[in-house]
Amino acid sequence: MDYVPITNKDQKEMLAKIGINSIDDLVGDVKLRCGKLNLPPPMSEMELVQHVTALSEKNKIPRYFVGGGSYNHYSPAVIDHMVLRGEFLTAYTPYQPEVSQGTLQSIYEFQSYICLLTGMDVSNASLYDGASALAEAALLSSSHLRRNHVFVSKGLNPRYLQVLKTYCEGAEIEISDKIDEKTACVIAQYPDFFGNIEDLQTLADEAKKAGALFVTCVTELTSLAILKPPANFGSDIVVGEGQSLGIPISYGGPYLGFIAVKQDLLKKLPGRIVGLTTDDKGNEGFVLTFRAREQDIRRERATSNITTNQALLALSATIYLAAMGKDGLINVAKASYKQAHILHEKLKEVGFEPLNDKPFYNEFVVKATKPSEEILSSLLKKNILGGINLGENKLLVCCTENNSAQDIEDYVSAVNE
Amino acid sequence: MKLIFDYDENITGHVPSESIDLDLPKHLMRSDLPLPNVNEVDVVRHYTNLSRKNFGIDLGIYPLGSCTMKYNPKVNENLARLNGFSQLHPLVPASFSQGTLELIWKLQQYLKEITGMDEITLQPAAGSQCELLGLMMAKKYFKDRNEERKKVIIPDYSHGTNPATSSMCKFQTVTVQSDTRGNIPLNKFRDVLDSDVAVVMITNPNTLGLFEENLSEISDLARSNGTLLYCDGANMNALLGIGKPGEQGFDMVHLNLHKTFSTPHGGGGPGGGALCVRSFLADYLPVPRIVKGDEKFSMDYDKKKSVGKVHSFYGNFGMLLRAYSYIMSWGSNISRVSKNALLNANYLQSLLSDVFEQPYNRKCAHEFVLSSKNLGARSAMNIAKRIMDYGLHPPTIYFPLIVEEALMIEPTETESKESLDNFASVLKKISDELVKDPDFIKKSPHTTKLGRLDEVKAAREPNLRWLPKFKV
Repeated sequence: MDYVPITNKDQKEMLAKIGINSIDDLVGDVKLRCGKLNLPPPMSEMELVQHVTALSEKNKIPRYFVGGGSYNHYSPAVIDHMVLRGEFLTAYTPYQPEVSQGTLQSIYEFQSYICLLTGMDVSNASLYDGASALAEAALLSSSHLRRNHVFVSKGLNPRYLQVLKTYCEGAEIEISDKIDEKTACVIAQYPDFFGNIEDLQTLADEAKKAGALFVTCVTELTSLAILKPPANFGSDIVVGEGQSLGIPISYGGPYLGFIAVKQDLLKKLPGRIVGLTTDDKGNEGFVLTFRAREQDIRRERATSNITTNQALLALSATIYLAAMGKDGLINVAKASYKQAHILHEKLKEVGFEPLNDKPFYNEFVVKATKPSEEILSSLLKKNILGGINLGENKLLVCCTENNSAQDIEDYVSAVNE
Repeated sequence: MKLIFDYDENITGHVPSESIDLDLPKHLMRSDLPLPNVNEVDVVRHYTNLSRKNFGIDLGIYPLGSCTMKYNPKVNENLARLNGFSQLHPLVPASFSQGTLELIWKLQQYLKEITGMDEITLQPAAGSQCELLGLMMAKKYFKDRNEERKKVIIPDYSHGTNPATSSMCKFQTVTVQSDTRGNIPLNKFRDVLDSDVAVVMITNPNTLGLFEENLSEISDLARSNGTLLYCDGANMNALLGIGKPGEQGFDMVHLNLHKTFSTPHGGGGPGGGALCVRSFLADYLPVPRIVKGDEKFSMDYDKKKSVGKVHSFYGNFGMLLRAYSYIMSWGSNISRVSKNALLNANYLQSLLSDVFEQPYNRKCAHEFVLSSKNLGARSAMNIAKRIMDYGLHPPTIYFPLIVEEALMIEPTETESKESLDNFASVLKKISDELVKDPDFIKKSPHTTKLGRLDEVKAAREPNLRWLPKFKV
């Protein structure tokens, strides 16, 4: 394929206007030129489709009973039809509001939805993913309070913990096992990695007592359709992953990081924020606002280096929430809850030991009487990905509304064989 | 203006109704969920109408300097939606993900070939996350050598992300002022290059659209000082098949897949990042690494020196797939991309250099910066707003900060001569209009649905979300 619309005739005229004979005269400034690249021969569109389709067929798609930060929910058809519109898909960051009201309004709606789900005051326009959003919350807390310890409650997704550690090491922040006057923030996942729904009030109070910020991390946003919003525990910052809202699991990305804060932390937020204003005739419209926090203006004094975010996924999530509505989202949450509890019950019946000591949403931990590897491999033979191996015969299992009664029956019969 | 929250209550039906009673303690449950129920017809009309208030590359030239707004091939969108890719969970065993791992591995090979580097990670979600990762790796590298270097040298022509990233890693940024040719002056560079300098971050070509002419000398000086040389490769669209950062003395280079390799910007993201490094830094790359065995591809987490992870999973795979498809389409012809990006930029510069001031008298790379200061204060803003009246998208303005009334123009290789001619003639017309009827231009745009928006009011009276009529 070729995506250069310049003809040979055009090229001659253009070179003449520039005053040179050949394109090679333009690369004279590159003192260290390279030789011809060793890349495969170009492909026509047809060959490309055949080639990439063949690669996709080397993958195998099982039936999923696995979550761990990526949830296989149903995604309404309307989302793709909207996000594929070139006006959304091929636009840049809305620097020129007069020709970007579509993107800007959709971000304002996204910010509103995130606030409604989490109960927080303000949200930004998105961050990369759940794990980096959590890391940004730690950096925000540390710079806001000028403290350099963070406390992480057990039950945080281990992948998130690893990203948090990586960012903290770079930023010279210590992950500490006690809450004291050095603690910048206390972090808890809700529901936690093992599916537990914990009353976070005690931990939030402990954070407050130490003068630290309380950060709640939500990796399965559909849970907030039925659960108490994290703001109601006194969270100062709520971060997490919005992939559950209609975004394909797509091998882990692109997903949708979000961050929402209490009003007093607004000016510390990383990334873009959209606000409502008026034009010169008094008509309402939207703009990027509080730009003075951002890297292109503030440089080394910016709140973060983030520039590109996940705008199109924020649009997907917004359209998902619009299309599902309150009723649809509650149905998704209830069905996910129900399927997980049915499977949980059936696994208990066939001898699995339940390990959650608190109520759970759509993920739970069970202990088998044989090694998890054996269980998972007998499930894989039935084309079922049966959960995350937690070692010591333990499995972290997940259901969504996408798991049918038949899937659950097959799961139970496979582990019971 | 109607928000999605302003529609009347209606019926939805994308998933079955579920009447189960939740067995949860009352104090852990939500009392109310104030989201609207909007019918699908209204949803589609709402967002279709919003899209019509947007400008995208599919509508015309989008010459935002430093952003590489090139055409995004439609076929790549179809390929990203193939079930075998989009329905693959990140935690499947490697035996289920061989196609995906092969694609990532091959993309890594091609990007190493393009940059001339030894090793690579595709985990970062964007260019700025590559920078962060690069500086974290540098920090660890020096720690392992028992060196405590605290400074990062960054020229004034860099992107704002460079100094912002340096601060995130608790480095002290030392700014070097570029000279009248847009290069780093060697004498000034020598003055600041002491034993405390960990990294020099160079953007090549820089944000003035100029290739750094002192690169070899800078690279030699940095190397003999034990300092790492980082290339901000956001402008790699000028260098495909022309120059390899790995052969130009760089130790690390990042690529923005959403710029050079044409994954769509989506109104601000998602992007995709690649960080390519020399072999002596490979041990510090994040885990997992994608490994090719005799028969199978797999993931290797066993890297003791690794800085860790920067992404929940393995990066923005959907964007990697699009970038891979883009590279496979061009294949060995890919230098045609950069050569035509240079041609288009230089042609447009030659059409405009007698209209606006050209602060650096050089041939440009894939983009160029002009100054409209001869047309008065705030003229760049006024020109940008007026361009919209002609149905085109304005260039980047007031960046880089070192040029007054800057117009930063990057046409990319996917504009036709006709499109470039039209853009130039519109700019000429506007510069005349600014002289003849400045008041009219200062009030532009006149033909868009909204006029100039009040950014001061937006910040002074923040309204950042819709509020329900009752407390959540």
